Amino acid sequence: MANLELKNVSKVYGSGVSQLTALNKVNFAAHEGETVLIVGPSGSGKTTFLTIAGGLQTPSTGEVLINGSGYSSTNKNEQSALRLNKIGFVLQAYNLVPFLTVAEQFELVDKVKQNNMAAERFEGVLDTLGIKDLLAKYPKELSGGQRQRVAIARALYADPEYILADEPTAALDTNRSLEVMSLFNQLAHKYQKAVIVVTHDQRLEEKADKVYQIIDGQMSLLKDKTE
Amino acid sequence: MFLAIKEIKHEKLRYALITGMIMLVSYLVFILSGLSSGLQTLNSAAIDTWGANAIVLNKDAQLSLPQSVVNTPDVNKATATGGAKLVQFGGLVKDTAGHKESVQVIGIDQKEFIYKGLKIENGTKLTADNQVVVSDNLKVDGFKLGDNIKFANTNITAKIVGFTKNANLNIAPVVYTTIANAQKITQRPGVVNGVVFKDAKPNVSNLHTSKVYAINDFVNALPGNSAQTMTFNFMIGFLMVIILIVITIFLYILTIQKLPNFGVLKAQGVATKYLVKNTLFQSFLIAVIGVGIAVILTTITALILPAQVPIFISASYVAVTAVLIIVMSLLGSLIPIREIVKVDPYTMIGG
Repeated sequence: MANLELKNVSKVYGSGVSQLTALNKVNFAAHEGETVLIVGPSGSGKTTFLTIAGGLQTPSTGEVLINGSGYSSTNKNEQSALRLNKIGFVLQAYNLVPFLTVAEQFELVDKVKQNNMAAERFEGVLDTLGIKDLLAKYPKELSGGQRQRVAIARALYADPEYILADEPTAALDTNRSLEVMSLFNQLAHKYQKAVIVVTHDQRLEEKADKVYQIIDGQMSLLKDKTE
Repeated sequence: MFLAIKEIKHEKLRYALITGMIMLVSYLVFILSGLSSGLQTLNSAAIDTWGANAIVLNKDAQLSLPQSVVNTPDVNKATATGGAKLVQFGGLVKDTAGHKESVQVIGIDQKEFIYKGLKIENGTKLTADNQVVVSDNLKVDGFKLGDNIKFANTNITAKIVGFTKNANLNIAPVVYTTIANAQKITQRPGVVNGVVFKDAKPNVSNLHTSKVYAINDFVNALPGNSAQTMTFNFMIGFLMVIILIVITIFLYILTIQKLPNFGVLKAQGVATKYLVKNTLFQSFLIAVIGVGIAVILTTITALILPAQVPIFISASYVAVTAVLIIVMSLLGSLIPIREIVKVDPYTMIGG
């Protein structure tokens, strides 16, 4: 079963002469255990795709399905609950709450959501991400790469069905970028999550199971290793 | 409340400054209200101790007791229904050691309720014309039990036989004497200035040249009383408004700085309600701490201030004002909360 599916999704901003079609009849599917990369230049519609897939915006037309159920028509509170329970966001900036230590970032997840990842399993995530020794540190005491790994761990801790990452390697050098992408790949396979990474960085393509390209709002499948 | 407490702990200086600001303004409000109550007490404490609720004064006296002369038939009618006669005048007294003090002399009748209700702190009640009971404030000026005091511009002396608490009128300590002695000092035999009643609506009718007034009207007409009370009330009112504005500004700036974080948390599904609750709790917490410290400081200040400073800290007034300041703080956080509700997570992730 597909974790996330977009069917004929379009997003149109404005009207008349100022009308802009950010997404044009996009069809997309991401399955558990897959790492899906969405590449495209600036202004191609990547962020619009991410916000619609993540329930932050509703499409103008088309349907967004999670495990076969549509959620485009749900209200803001329901969308918020959906993001909390099913989606893990990894954003390029402001990822972590600055006044919480790494351990407290996870504690916050416990405060707002039940049924998070079991302690033993999460220990494994911390090991995999190599952040076990950083639990007492504040975000400002971490490097860019460490912050990104903590953000990934936080997203995983909520045990979402799929992870949406927005330009997660924007602040990283090539080696670190590839490392993070490998990590996503590893996590997708190990924890059976669908990991969807939106990026303009084409160096990451080799690490993904599927690669979609988005240009001027139109999406096309470039590569699919799963077939 | 997790986020609120963690943030306060991490941003100690920032929140200490806001708490300090709330504390200082609250302290100022408490001290000003204490001084206002203190001055009010100096103005009318004696009347409060009588428990009087109405007063008969001459119609033309403009609510001024020393200017009032109640004629004898009216006095008789008033005293027949439970009133207590008063003779009042301001003057100077001095003891044999040379201590001098401006006082308000009040003549009272031993058969009436003011005399009966007089609470003696030291000594005894007066029982003769040549005895007085005086305000314990005179102790500070060197007056003692057994001292003979002389009324200025007369040869009349009286012995201090007792001290009584809270005996002030028109910001001067009160000297209680007999009606006869007071009339003798003023050289106005038979003149009664007013008659007070415990009953708010005494059953007195057909008064000739006098009228029954509510005691509050009489107190408000005491020289300078209304102007002084209104001045303090305005200052306290303005301070309350300043608290509201300052807290709003501080919390607004803090919230605006945190909006990107709130946006990301909302994107991650953290409910707006949770963020609002945390922000409200944060405002409540810093207001309670600030006001709490201010209450402690006010108590210490009231204890160490010299007796000459008229400060009266009423626990109930402080409690009500404290609650009001805390409510103001919560009101002040409503505008920043609007920003939290409005923040769209979509715009915070580059949409």
